[in-house]
Amino acid sequence: MRALGRWLTEHWIAVGSPLLLLVAWEWASATGLLREAFFPRPSTIAAHLRQLAADGTLWGHTAMTLIRIGWAFALAAVLGVSVGLAMGLWRQLRDGLDPVFAVIYPIPSVLFLPFVSFLVPPGEIALVVTTAVTSFFLIAFSTTQGVRQIDRLVVEAAVHYGARGWRLFATVLLPGALPLIFTGLRLGLGFALIVVVAVEIVAASRGLGALLWLSWQILKIEDMYATFFVIAFLGALLSYGLAAFRARLLPWVQDVAEP
Amino acid sequence: MAVLLPAALLVLWEICSRFAVVPPRYFPPPTTVGWVLVDRVVAGDLGAQSLVTLARLGSAFAIAALPGVLLGLLMGVARPLRDAVEPYIAFIFPVPKITLLPFLLIILGVGEPAFVLTGATSAFFQIVISTLGGVQTMDPRLLARLFWKIILPAALPSIFTGLRLGLGLALVALVAVEFIAAKSGLGHLVYRHWQMLSTPEMYAAFALVGALGLLLTRGLRALQARVLAWQEEVGSL
Repeated sequence: MRALGRWLTEHWIAVGSPLLLLVAWEWASATGLLREAFFPRPSTIAAHLRQLAADGTLWGHTAMTLIRIGWAFALAAVLGVSVGLAMGLWRQLRDGLDPVFAVIYPIPSVLFLPFVSFLVPPGEIALVVTTAVTSFFLIAFSTTQGVRQIDRLVVEAAVHYGARGWRLFATVLLPGALPLIFTGLRLGLGFALIVVVAVEIVAASRGLGALLWLSWQILKIEDMYATFFVIAFLGALLSYGLAAFRARLLPWVQDVAEP
Repeated sequence: MAVLLPAALLVLWEICSRFAVVPPRYFPPPTTVGWVLVDRVVAGDLGAQSLVTLARLGSAFAIAALPGVLLGLLMGVARPLRDAVEPYIAFIFPVPKITLLPFLLIILGVGEPAFVLTGATSAFFQIVISTLGGVQTMDPRLLARLFWKIILPAALPSIFTGLRLGLGLALVALVAVEFIAAKSGLGHLVYRHWQMLSTPEMYAAFALVGALGLLLTRGLRALQARVLAWQEEVGSL
């Protein structure tokens, strides 16, 4: 209780400011200062959110989005870490792929949808592969960086004491690259959410992005806000949850990509 | 290797497409795409649409840059402001900014302001966060007196990084917005030519977006390395 009190005296502004905003918003929409058609009251949005959750609509869409993120992330992680490790270990490959990646990476993932839908069967698989594109690059870049920043002295010492081939890789190179691999995975997961929403807006009939877009098209404004909050909640969960997870898993490293 | 591997990939694609190993309707040979690219940039709509995208990018960046840097600096200097605003930044930052598009479309109507603002928000939050990160590292006791002499110069690398990342994010958001909702710009061209299955034009527009992104990211990073030469390392992403 006292800990809570102390925490509150330190963070009362950070807690109070969003609360104040919600109250002000509620009041402004109720009195007509804000047009309720555009800015429905927070309490109305909450009611709609409850209703969407109660009739199961929300869970279906959320599950769909999460499944897509899961597959895309798995695909990006496996390919990204493998390619990243290979690029970190072999200079030739790195030099060759760098310019290719440099051109492709800045292209927004959603633009890959046409290309991917030519490449693989259109539909669910195309959505997942498109979602994986940006995450793949982030993970590959980060992993390459991870291998390259390992102290040369450490590697030389290991080689000197007889570590070669697989042993060198498994006991020195991989653990040394791990912190940055994790950073890449964290960024990749965050981007998977960003991309999946865009892809769902364009090309899916289910999923949170599709629900958001559909609510806009039929002007169900309250559902639009409700969906937005669910997406924002997922975003916070993914980015802050994973940061906390990393702190437990690799407590000795500072996260280089901390914004 | 830096020339060899990309060239080999292009040649491989060319051959596969010419001999119909892959369907040329979906994967036209790079030389065809190249010709279309040159032809359409000079004479056709590709050049004009690139300018549309660039104009949007310019407006979005202009809207986001100054307020973003100012808010970041103010939050760094004034603790109460930071406490009050940080929850919103933390809440919005991980959200895909494209989700703001329908809200802006409703409030502002379908049109340029909504498109541009979606790109601007994307850049804005990145700029605030990067700027704030640069100010935060200062000793608070020095803050009041030494703003112009120490704090601002010390924050400059972070501000530049924020602007650079922000510009990249704005481009990504804008092209996505064009792909989804606008009726002009490079993103829309990719969408339209995809729907019409005019694939050489589609790939040409696609390549232009890549070139634009490359130019912005690499160009600005090189600029940053020159202007802020004392800075140890310019982030790699």
